[in-house]
Amino acid sequence: MEFKDYYKTLGVARDATVQDIKKAFRKLARKYHPDVSKEPDAEARMQELNEAYAVLSDPEKRAAYDQLGRGHQPGEEFRPPPDWDAGYEFSGRGFSPSEEAAFSDFFSELFGHMGGARGRYHTGGAGFRARGEDHHAKVLLELEDAFEGATRQISLRVPRLDPEGRVVVDTRTLNVRIPKGVHGGQIIRLAGQGSPGIGGGPTGDLLLEVHFRPHPSFRPDGRDLHMTLPVTPWEAALGAVIPVDLPSGSVKVRIPENAQSGRQLRVRGKGIPGSPSGDLLLEIQVVLPSPDDPKARRLYEQMAREIPFDPRRNQRA
Amino acid sequence: MRDDDILTGSLLDESWLTLEQIAAACTVEPRWLERHIEEGLFPHTECVAGTWRITALHLRRARRMREIERVFDAEPELAALVADLLEEMDELHSRLRRAGLE
Repeated sequence: MEFKDYYKTLGVARDATVQDIKKAFRKLARKYHPDVSKEPDAEARMQELNEAYAVLSDPEKRAAYDQLGRGHQPGEEFRPPPDWDAGYEFSGRGFSPSEEAAFSDFFSELFGHMGGARGRYHTGGAGFRARGEDHHAKVLLELEDAFEGATRQISLRVPRLDPEGRVVVDTRTLNVRIPKGVHGGQIIRLAGQGSPGIGGGPTGDLLLEVHFRPHPSFRPDGRDLHMTLPVTPWEAALGAVIPVDLPSGSVKVRIPENAQSGRQLRVRGKGIPGSPSGDLLLEIQVVLPSPDDPKARRLYEQMAREIPFDPRRNQRA
Repeated sequence: MRDDDILTGSLLDESWLTLEQIAAACTVEPRWLERHIEEGLFPHTECVAGTWRITALHLRRARRMREIERVFDAEPELAALVADLLEEMDELHSRLRRAGLE
């Protein structure tokens, strides 16, 4: 396990005040917020910032970390001595056990068995009965999975209580059957795959939020599929029937005469299957043959001479 | 892989999730979510016979608002405003993707 220098992560000195730490965290949180950041590793950096802030913003955790980490360098192999945390009274704040489960092994090893989880799980005393927590995770699928259905293996880091009431983090691998017709943003519920209930209460569910990997040809929008369809000038001008490959099979699409670049054709029911199925939306893009080809050049020159065509006519006063 | 190793999920249609489910999935207290809904910070929700009807799409909004409130100690109304702007940005990005420009 590698030692993590949380002060370095937040860019603050070891004697930084609580206000300094908060200020540095917010500044970096703004920079690496995954919704707005242009940094390629924004999500991972945000996770590191959250982890560092979870420790340094909590006086008890910070004191224990300071005492333990003295003399260690970031990245250095590290193993905490037994009972290193004796004498510290930890209370949880800010982050839930499932959020803390996404933190590093270093954090789990040091603080995974403390914090608010213990307090929260034990709330209520004898006779207390509650439904287990639902878990939420993103699942990244191929677009083809929505057409055919698929079985995908997903790994999750989930907290659980050990017999001594400590929170430990397990990695769970599940084989999940993805139903045909699933679309981006939709939630797949796996009943009974969340946290165990308390006092005999029912187990929570696992909610998977569906996202698709970028596809080279199609851009999904709900159940609709958008695609740019390159056509030749003569197909666009004269009309044509063009085969279009879909994630499952292919369709023939009729291009009407005088189709211009940017025009959109809607093919009903050929998007992601469902009730109702989505549509396929094709945006026509006329692609010109290169004039490097002598024959193409001759034909362009002939058209220029013989066809009185002015595409800018309407722009003139 | 044996067939009985495979978990079969059910697709949640819109308005399937309860307030408690959304709250649990976002690790917020149900009361936090209820208060924000009552204050009108979650558009397109409605209360039918005492039960809030919330779509799965509100999951993302709830997580964003909670994150903004926690990281920046933001007032709920400010967090909702930021969430509105981020949703607007999502919509614009989505339009760019549909147009093949992103």
